[in-house]
Amino acid sequence: MHAQNKQLLYDFYEIPQSLMVNPGVKATEKWHTGIPVISGLSFQAGTSGVTVNDLFANDGIDFTTKVRERLLDVMNRKDDFSTTSQIEGFNVGFRGRNRPDDYYSFGMYGETDIIVYWPRDLAILAFEGNGGANIGRSFDLGDLSLRGEMVSVFHFGVNRKISNTLTVGARAKIYSSIFQFRSTKNSGSFSTTEGQNNIYTNSIVADMELQTSGIDGFLDIIDDDTSGSRRERLERLFTKKVLFGGNLGLGFDLGFTHDLNPQTTITGSLLDVGFIYNSKDIRNFTLNGSATNEGVSIVLPDDISNTGTDIWQDLVDEIEESVPFDENESSYISFRPVKAYGSIRYNFGEGKTRTRNCGGCLVNSESGQSEDFYRNSVGGQLFLLKRPRGIQGALTGFYQRRLGRSLALKTTYTVDKYSFSNVGLGLNLQAGPVNFYVLADNLLAYRNIADSHYASLQFGFNIISWNGN
Amino acid sequence: MQRLFFNCFLAFNCLFAFFGCSEEQNFDQFDDLSVTPLVASSIFYLESDEQFINTATTLNAFYTETFNFDAFNEQFVAERLIEGTITYEIENTTSKRLNILVEFLDETEATLDFELFEVEPAPSEIQTIEVPYGPGGKSLDILATTSNIRVTGNNLGDNTSVSSNEEPKVIMRSAAEFLFRLK
Repeated sequence: MHAQNKQLLYDFYEIPQSLMVNPGVKATEKWHTGIPVISGLSFQAGTSGVTVNDLFANDGIDFTTKVRERLLDVMNRKDDFSTTSQIEGFNVGFRGRNRPDDYYSFGMYGETDIIVYWPRDLAILAFEGNGGANIGRSFDLGDLSLRGEMVSVFHFGVNRKISNTLTVGARAKIYSSIFQFRSTKNSGSFSTTEGQNNIYTNSIVADMELQTSGIDGFLDIIDDDTSGSRRERLERLFTKKVLFGGNLGLGFDLGFTHDLNPQTTITGSLLDVGFIYNSKDIRNFTLNGSATNEGVSIVLPDDISNTGTDIWQDLVDEIEESVPFDENESSYISFRPVKAYGSIRYNFGEGKTRTRNCGGCLVNSESGQSEDFYRNSVGGQLFLLKRPRGIQGALTGFYQRRLGRSLALKTTYTVDKYSFSNVGLGLNLQAGPVNFYVLADNLLAYRNIADSHYASLQFGFNIISWNGN
Repeated sequence: MQRLFFNCFLAFNCLFAFFGCSEEQNFDQFDDLSVTPLVASSIFYLESDEQFINTATTLNAFYTETFNFDAFNEQFVAERLIEGTITYEIENTTSKRLNILVEFLDETEATLDFELFEVEPAPSEIQTIEVPYGPGGKSLDILATTSNIRVTGNNLGDNTSVSSNEEPKVIMRSAAEFLFRLK
């Protein structure tokens, strides 16, 4: 559950899946099991620039004008389009019989994470060309930056209560990559300037690479017209890659919860510190070199013997040789997008002694101790995510309210690059052993969802026990 | 308890159903997108010093060459070219009257079109000639079917005189600016 900011889920310890964003959260359950496939589903889409409504609103404005004024003239190379989705296959947790302070959890989830930065200069080059007013302009080829992957993740975590004030946790992960692509370290430029001899000089300096793994296998099946069982073959390949048949990797999560005093708690977690070694089904593309071109050039008498019918093709060949577009199958390592959370929480409100069988309790129910149960919590959270163009951050303020033993609500206000008006609401409901949660972000944007820069929804069902049943 | 569970679930759904609105969107607008970049590139540069021009003996042609040129008739270019301009710049610091003939030839080397530039001897201004193609100009078919270009330089003067200019030479520059429709 990690490729996006899950500020509503974070430290919402009544929900078992909060272990996935902080393995050191205060786990309260005796055991839990997610209802397979529907224990945790989350979808997120974000754009820091143009929205769907900006372009596709039925407002009578010429579409090309909208693209120019709302996309080309406004968005810069730091703007991005991103999407993340996760589906939890299964998620199980249980408290150690001999070590009741330990809570073990394991499971599997699939995750798709794609980010594409707005390739500003390349878009302008495609839209306007290098001629006219763009003579003399240098187009930055480094504007191309994108990354995407689909992985299945198998994990096992241990959550341990070290003392009455400290809980720590760690989670080991095995990644099985279904596909991966990235083109994040591009550099170079293309420009057309006044020529030294001829009218224009076109110059290109390029150091670009697109690395892919796991994609060719799917494309081969899709392109294969001879087979009538295309869908079955796709499903078979997908299943194989989900179940360790893809490129494999390792990673871990760490986290802690520390009570500074009975009412104040700080937490932190570091997620997806890991890598995938991409060695199977690799196809990489490179464009590397430099060239300057002023067209076919004949200087007499020096070139009188060098001319021939193929001088144009010779020029094309020379450029292609100077800036070759190559393919290779070299293995590569891709790092997972590392995420970090931190929070401070202040609990207050009418307290009462907790019982063993309750939802929304603050401390480990099996620790044998009795601590105050506060109905309200307020605090702040920080989220950091490693992106191809640097660290992306988000700051969240939250208020949490527990209504009896069965219901807990959390509301958040988050500021990040996508939105300054992101108000979220989360609900956790405990009906006997059945747990249901739903967390939705950026609620104000639901007035016109097409005009939203960010939308996120998570929900799931679990079975939870706080006693031996 | 089950009722509470159901009610909360219903309430949350109603919340989204009530507030979850969207203005009318029309995704068919994408079909109206017009992407028409203006692409600029030099084509051909010819330079000859006066001494070389003086050595020419064949029917006053000091240079003639036919070379393959498929840049315009590449399928991608030919299908998307809307209009364009080919610009020629001619600079002559020799003592000769010259002419330069640029012929656009098809695959069989049959002439599709030509440009003939009369070049006055020095001192003369740099000539800039812009030849438009497309609406209001020459036919785009000329470019789309051009497979070869023949360039011929003719000396219309004598074979002995040398200009007093430093390094006297004739230079022809050419470049194209074409408007393409990518979408």
